[in-house]
Amino acid sequence: MPNRSECEAVVRQLWPYLDGAVSESQRERIVAHLEGCVNCASHFDFAQSFLDAVAAARPHLPANEVLRVRVMSALMAEGFEAQ
Amino acid sequence: MTADSEFAAVALPLLPAIARVAHALTVDDADADDLVQETFLRAYKHWRTFERGSDCKSWLSAICRNAFFEQRRRESRSTAVEDQELESLAAARLHNSARASGVDNMFSRLDLGPAIARAIEALEPRYRDVVVLVDVEDFSYEQVAEALGIPIGTVRSRLYRARRQLQEALLAFAVDAGYATASAPIRPE
Ligand SMILES: [Zn+2]
Repeated sequence: MPNRSECEAVVRQLWPYLDGAVSESQRERIVAHLEGCVNCASHFDFAQSFLDAVAAARPHLPANEVLRVRVMSALMAEGFEAQ
Repeated sequence: MTADSEFAAVALPLLPAIARVAHALTVDDADADDLVQETFLRAYKHWRTFERGSDCKSWLSAICRNAFFEQRRRESRSTAVEDQELESLAAARLHNSARASGVDNMFSRLDLGPAIARAIEALEPRYRDVVVLVDVEDFSYEQVAEALGIPIGTVRSRLYRARRQLQEALLAFAVDAGYATASAPIRPE
């Protein structure tokens, strides 16, 4: 039976882990936990399938919206200040 | 006179005055005491930079104020980390809700593309921009931080908040659309 507080510690890192933004030692700890904890693993799978669905929704986003964000980012990198 | 005896003669007698400064800055007595201790530790370490003959009370007060604001910045950063971790916990809770509603495979089973696009457009711009850049355009946290001129912590907070809002909207959509009760896989084209 997985330890509840270990479950919580692992789930607290769900988004950073899925984004590859955790340290190597944190990553190893999470991977080891997910191998032995079906419930936590199911939370991570659900969140990953959500991220995959968002990425796959790209063609449904108005082209202008994607382009607007891209152009605004490029402008702001050059010092343009929105608002 | 050694540096230590000079410190004892000039700085230490100002302890009651600095305690009052610390008390004015903090709310809690224990915090004030910690701040006084931190102030005198810093003052001792940097005693050689104290300009002899200048106002030691002002010098110590400035150290006290700086220590206080540094500590507060550290604490607000740790609050931000706590908020981010709570968003991850919220994602697990949302999964539990989806499971309870019978739609826990909604993302793999359904084509939610149009619904996701609508949900993204409904987000406030500051959330929408970050989630589009990271989750659709595949920017890293660092790239978004640089592009938008905001700290990485802010990128994370906005991104995770945006994801939660999207997940909540999509769960409501899946349940409302009646997919919850469907027994067979549905792939609307
Ligand atoms: Zn677990």
